[in-house]
Amino acid sequence: MRILLRLIRVLSLVILSVIGTSLLMYMAPGYFTDAREMDAAHAVSERRDLQALEQQQHSSTALLRSELMQWAHGDLGTSRQYGSSVTSLVRERVAQSTHLLVLGSLLGWSLALFFAVLFSLRSSPFADATVAITTALLLALPIGVLATVCLLTNTAGPVSVLACFIAARDLKLLHRLLSTAWLAPYVLHARAQGSPVFTILRVHLWTAHKREFLSVAVMSFTLALSALVPVEVIFDVPGLGHLAWSAAMNRDLPVLVAVTGLLSVCIGVASSFLPLQRSIEVG
Amino acid sequence: MRFSTLIFIGLLGALAAALLLGSSHTYAAQDREHVSDSGSRSYLAGTDELGRDRAVRTAAALLLGLTGACVASALASSLSLLLGSVAALSASWLGRLLLYCGDLFLTLPWIFLLMLVRSALPLTLPPVQSGVVTFLLLAALGAPSFLRLTHERVSRLDKQDWRLHAHAMGLKKSQSGSQLLSHLWPIFWIQFLLYVPACIIAEANLGTLGLGIAEPVPSWGNMVTGLQAAALTSTSHLVYLPVVTLVLVLVALELTIFGAKQ
Repeated sequence: MRILLRLIRVLSLVILSVIGTSLLMYMAPGYFTDAREMDAAHAVSERRDLQALEQQQHSSTALLRSELMQWAHGDLGTSRQYGSSVTSLVRERVAQSTHLLVLGSLLGWSLALFFAVLFSLRSSPFADATVAITTALLLALPIGVLATVCLLTNTAGPVSVLACFIAARDLKLLHRLLSTAWLAPYVLHARAQGSPVFTILRVHLWTAHKREFLSVAVMSFTLALSALVPVEVIFDVPGLGHLAWSAAMNRDLPVLVAVTGLLSVCIGVASSFLPLQRSIEVG
Repeated sequence: MRFSTLIFIGLLGALAAALLLGSSHTYAAQDREHVSDSGSRSYLAGTDELGRDRAVRTAAALLLGLTGACVASALASSLSLLLGSVAALSASWLGRLLLYCGDLFLTLPWIFLLMLVRSALPLTLPPVQSGVVTFLLLAALGAPSFLRLTHERVSRLDKQDWRLHAHAMGLKKSQSGSQLLSHLWPIFWIQFLLYVPACIIAEANLGTLGLGIAEPVPSWGNMVTGLQAAALTSTSHLVYLPVVTLVLVLVALELTIFGAKQ
């Protein structure tokens, strides 16, 4: 029953995203216009195509119907900007974004876990202050600003920037979790008996706090999906985030609906594993 | 700590206001003879690639960002209180529906929503209106974040003895609204503090994508975007002044939130 409810939730999310995106773009000024109308070589053919499109999508209901019919037949449409199939555009870029997300998330989680264990194991005012100051500084930097500064100073690439973004948020949560966990009586007993730190982590802490660790991982993954757009745009990575931004700037509805739907599914599936909704964090 | 950081932010704001009022240059005035200048007597923090005073623009961006974020946060918190109270005090089906819609809204990719709505606006929108629309959007998108918290608090308050006693004595539910409000003030304050830095960060991220407040009105976002060109053409480290100021403000806000939690 719970799985069914979560599936309904993900489906509602995708439908809501698709409908909302389509209506928003349709109502935006300039939907039935194109810059190629000003090009003498393409003006006539472009106006003809736009008139045909306007007849097909004469109302928002007709627009939604045509979009949903296309999706039902597995056709995501043709990009107005690139003139090629949306499916092929998305397929080319999924690999880039997945590569960036996976590497960035793994590096971020590893950094956060390493430093959280290090600073929580030897708890001291210096360690607490170091964690607080580092996370405050990194959290204070919007992802777009962090990416811009790293690009200009040539200090880090897109994977490192995404990893820093994820690590800053996870470090705060993990440090708080582990600081309390190390003080549990059975953990103190194990340490007093001489058990190695790694064994205590694997046997005691992971088993007792698996749910919290997974929640932090899932939450940071959903944040990373949101951070994908500014990182890919600033570093000019040809991924899904860059495609979505380009589509939003050029009002390329089929691409925008497809990318928004795909990312909504990812976020919906990931969020359905969270026990409580996360608070707002953009970028 | 909370009051000292608030005083620090207030001082920054006062300094920015003094700089804006006292300077002979406006934020949009261009001096083509002093393009990408480093600091001088006329231009304390140098000029950007269009010859505009960087210190004045940073001051204007600080004031605009703080004001807009505070207004957006206050609106979001008020809306969240209103919707949470309606969800808690109305029929159970309506309450469940509101909470479900809020949760669904929270799982939407926010940056896409902001990008979509902002790019759907006319290109000829005046800069001030684009700023107002941006912050109103942030206010609308921030309300669902605290909906569940408000709903739980109001539900708990509704079952308190003093409220039951008041109703038993003949007080109507609509009349006890002011009593509820006084108990909801701490939640409003916490929501407000938590959301102000989020608004500033969101506006800065939108600006780096070219979807924030339009030029020539200075904002954190378009100043960071301008940084890309300025850092390549200028040898002065003063080009990073907007970033440094933004970090100072956000760190101060984080410390304020930390103090409020304690």
